[in-house]
Amino acid sequence: MSRESRMRATINQKLTEMGERERLKEILRARLTECGWKDQMKAHCKEVIKEKGLEHVTVDDLVVEITPKGRALVPDSVKKDLLHRIRGFLAQHAT
Amino acid sequence: MKMEEVSVSSLDNSKLEALAQDILSDLVEDACLGLCFEVHRAVKQGYFFLDDTDQESMRDFEIVDQPGLDVFGQVYNQWKNKECVCPNCSRSIAASRFAPHLEKCLGMGRNSSRIANRRIVTGNNTNNKSESDQEDNDDVNDNDWSYGAEKKAKKRKSDKNPNSPRRSKSFKHKNSMMGPRRRMDNQESPRMLMKDEAFSQ
Repeated sequence: MSRESRMRATINQKLTEMGERERLKEILRARLTECGWKDQMKAHCKEVIKEKGLEHVTVDDLVVEITPKGRALVPDSVKKDLLHRIRGFLAQHAT
Repeated sequence: MKMEEVSVSSLDNSKLEALAQDILSDLVEDACLGLCFEVHRAVKQGYFFLDDTDQESMRDFEIVDQPGLDVFGQVYNQWKNKECVCPNCSRSIAASRFAPHLEKCLGMGRNSSRIANRRIVTGNNTNNKSESDQEDNDDVNDNDWSYGAEKKAKKRKSDKNPNSPRRSKSFKHKNSMMGPRRRMDNQESPRMLMKDEAFSQ
C-alpha cells in the first residue's frame, strides 16, 4: 500500500471510530431535508415508481435512477458546509 | 505496527482536498442510498402514496392568492372601517375597539373595577383630565394582553404599599403573554364580539 492510501485508511478509520462519520451523516441528512432536496428526490421517486409500476419496482431501479440525480442536486451551500467540517477534522486529526 | 503513525503532514493540500471531496462523496452516496431504501420500503409496505389526495380535493383546498382575501379565500378586513354606536355612552366606536370599550363602559370586564378605583384615586389628584382621555387610557392599560401597558403597570405597582398582601400579583403580569392584542385589528373584531359574555344581557 502506498503512503497515501495508508493515510487515507487511517483517516477513514479515525472518522468512524470517533463517531465523526455518524455525526456528519446526520448533519448532511438534516441539511438535505431543510433545503428541500429530500422532497425533490421523493417527487422524482414517485415518477420512477409510476413508470416501473408499484408492484415491480426494485431497490436497484431506484438506486440507478435516484443516485446520479441526487448527487447533482445537492446544493452548493450544503456541500460547502460539510466540506468545511471535514477539512476541520482533517486539520485536527491528520497531523 | 507503524500504521497508526503515518501522518498527513507530508502530503500536500491538493491531496488533502481530494480526500475531503471523497469523504463528502461517500456521505452523499450514503444519503441517497438511505433515501432509496426508505422509499422502497414505503412502496412495498404500501404507505408511500398515503399522503396524496385526489385531484379534486387538491383543487378545492388550494391556497388562495388574491388581494383582499386570506389563504382560505375569506375576506379578512371586512370590519376594518365599520363603526358601532355604544348603547351606553352613545359614542361612535371603531368595530375592533368595540368589545373592550363595552367592557369598560358597562363596568363588567375583568379590570373595569380596578380601573374605576384607580380613576377615583387619580381623579382626586388631577381633576383636569377629561372623561374621554381616561376612557382611552383604560383601553391602553388593559393588562391582559398589551405589551406597552406592562411598563405603565410596573410603574403603578411600585407606588403601592410594598407590604400589601397583593404584592405577589405583579408576577402575574411579568409572565403574561405579550400576545396578539397589539394592533391586530383585522382579526380581532368578529371573534371578540362572540367571546365577550358581558354583552349577553
